[in-house]
Amino acid sequence: MSSIKDILTPFTAWKNVFKEPVTIKDPLNDRPGAERYRGFHKNDVQECIGCGTCESICENEAIDMVAIAGFDAKDGDSGLRPSVDYGRCCWCALCVDVCTTGSLTLSNEYTWVDTDPDNFRFVPGVDAKSWDKNELGWKKPAGNYEFYGLKRVEMGELHPEERDSSFIEMIKGYSKEQAEKEADRCVECGICTATCPAHMGIPEYIKAIRNDDLEEGLRILYDTNPLPEICGRICTHKCETVCSIGHRGEPLSIRWLKRYIADQNPSEKYKTILESDNLQKNGKKIAIIGSGPAGLSAAHYLALMGYEVEIFEKLAEAGGMMRYGIPEYRLPYDQIDKDINYILSLGVKIHYNTTIGKDITLEKLGEDFDAVFAGTGLHLGRSTRIEGTDHENVYQSIELLRKITEGEEIHVPEKIVVIGGGNVAMDITRSLARLQKIKYGKVQVIATSLETEEKMPADREEVVEAREEMAVVNPGWSPQRIEIVDGKIKGLHVVQCLSLFDETGNFNPQCNMDNANFFEADMVVESIGQGMDLSYITEDVKEHLEMGPRGRIRVDDYFQTSVPWLFMGGDTIQGPDVIHGIANGHKAALGIDKMLIGD
Amino acid sequence: MKNFIKDLGYKFNISEIEYQRKNLTFLTIDKENVVQLLAYLRDYEGFKHFVLMTAVDWIEDGIFQLTYILNSPEKKIDLGIRTKILREKAEMTTVHHLWNQVATYQRELKEMFGIDFPGSPRVDESFILEGWDNIPPMRRDFDTKKYAEETFFPRPGRSTNDPSEYMKQKLYPNE
Repeated sequence: MSSIKDILTPFTAWKNVFKEPVTIKDPLNDRPGAERYRGFHKNDVQECIGCGTCESICENEAIDMVAIAGFDAKDGDSGLRPSVDYGRCCWCALCVDVCTTGSLTLSNEYTWVDTDPDNFRFVPGVDAKSWDKNELGWKKPAGNYEFYGLKRVEMGELHPEERDSSFIEMIKGYSKEQAEKEADRCVECGICTATCPAHMGIPEYIKAIRNDDLEEGLRILYDTNPLPEICGRICTHKCETVCSIGHRGEPLSIRWLKRYIADQNPSEKYKTILESDNLQKNGKKIAIIGSGPAGLSAAHYLALMGYEVEIFEKLAEAGGMMRYGIPEYRLPYDQIDKDINYILSLGVKIHYNTTIGKDITLEKLGEDFDAVFAGTGLHLGRSTRIEGTDHENVYQSIELLRKITEGEEIHVPEKIVVIGGGNVAMDITRSLARLQKIKYGKVQVIATSLETEEKMPADREEVVEAREEMAVVNPGWSPQRIEIVDGKIKGLHVVQCLSLFDETGNFNPQCNMDNANFFEADMVVESIGQGMDLSYITEDVKEHLEMGPRGRIRVDDYFQTSVPWLFMGGDTIQGPDVIHGIANGHKAALGIDKMLIGD
Repeated sequence: MKNFIKDLGYKFNISEIEYQRKNLTFLTIDKENVVQLLAYLRDYEGFKHFVLMTAVDWIEDGIFQLTYILNSPEKKIDLGIRTKILREKAEMTTVHHLWNQVATYQRELKEMFGIDFPGSPRVDESFILEGWDNIPPMRRDFDTKKYAEETFFPRPGRSTNDPSEYMKQKLYPNE
């Protein structure tokens, strides 16, 4: 049955005849993807660091990391960039969401016709495409959408009032739960490995923490670093400065994770875990001068290779600058002993209180041993040589730190000025602050440096913690003279320091003489760097030693000097820091083995 | 929305309510009551439009979660009805009698997840995976990568580099 309505209805469509159509006029050209459409990739290749996390997450293996002309491998950047194969890409955008720098995005372009299938494989951001400038498309959504934590698991430390009047260790170390949570933030890109002077297997040992396989973790540490308890506490952690997670968040606490592995493995199990119970001797003998990080590292790897190793140490205990330079609150002595005792358990002998050049000559070592490695470090303090530095109450930081370790009582007056802005300056400042607190119940120590706050070479946390302990850090001043009245130090005159280096890059401080200041003090400590004491090298040897730049002795890639039996490494050659010493010692051990045994 | 959901709660045993946004709420209900709730919503509450249905494989919990999304043109709101079925007995009552197009969704779910809807028209016919000879591909125990490696050949001309290894070659090849 039809009604009048059924007949008329078709004509009502006519009312729409002048309306704007909802369909698209030119669908081939005029159909942009939606605002968050997942179209073809874009990559800001200047931001990208080639960490390869996009490749790792891609379920379809659509991404390759390829070398690109003009992008070189360097600290923090592999020089590789992702290439996408659109024969495999499913546009899921996981690569964008996981990207550590945020450089990778998707445009809203989705139409592309081409007759050559190989064109659908290209490097976004390098191979120019029409959508490179498209603003729209998929970006990692803001807010709480993260595949890995951007915040560090906080490290427990003693509050200033708990630590400022003793030398007990201030960093508490991670618990199992904390370490695993922190390890879980690692994307295993391995960008850090190149920057670590010892090229430690960082992603691998972090993975061992995640797998709760700390014995495997310890084996990985010892592959490249035989001082993990020490490095786990005081390493300069250059690795953390390039951590890919650091681009959008806080870098992994790599140093604390290393410490966690070492802390959790008891020393009595080391030999079993590291399979060093039955070392085969090869009958060759190596002498090592100095038991600092370089010497210990060389000793460790040489002992593993079967060498008879004897270390000659000037001081009463082993460890060099690690024991006598770094304060106990940063690196407790029992932790130094744990690392060293394991190396001694490999059969390494140490002759304590034995000075080369006095108790035995360098030549004698050269004759008695198959090779000699010298890792003698920088133990001579440098002076500013300003007026008044010859006063008996002007000290070198390095001497005072050594005396504190030795348990010797040092002069601690009520007011002290420390000259220097590096980590050693902070070490002596904070040590003196503790001693003042113990003696007087209050702290009056000022540390001042040429460098301004932003350019101070000390680690930031050292400056912050020094201030928490009530020391004053007042940088940006150039010391002029120490005022002495009636034989007593009254204080240090300084003027504002404007710049340190001239246009040619030479050290040439410029000062504003109109802006002067005076720091009251009864004692001044200089901490502006250390020099090497090579007086043990006799003239006969020196004659044959080639020198390199900056007064350093020239060594080859294996730290062999031009005197074939003499290898040198550590602070006298590179650094100064512990991890370079370890790396040098390891490499020198390989060099010695190469020389004596061959490949 | 909240008052409406509250009233609904007097009639049906709703175990979870999730207010996703102003015009979308998810309800979870036992599988035995799903058909009754859907029919009620369609016939008495104006949820005439069946938007879609889908599934999630919660393999760790041994369940499939089914979600039916309905829309009410008058109320201008969407309701997502969720239910859980055992993974090992992947079967659910069909609701194609309420909306014809449901049969197509159910046929797809049979193919992709292996969830059966006995009595649903053409439910056993291939949907898009003609000649499929493996476990349903949307099940999480289906190894996509392994399948792809066995089934497809790699594209020639591709090569990749491990960033860490590449940096070693370039920056410290002798260490």
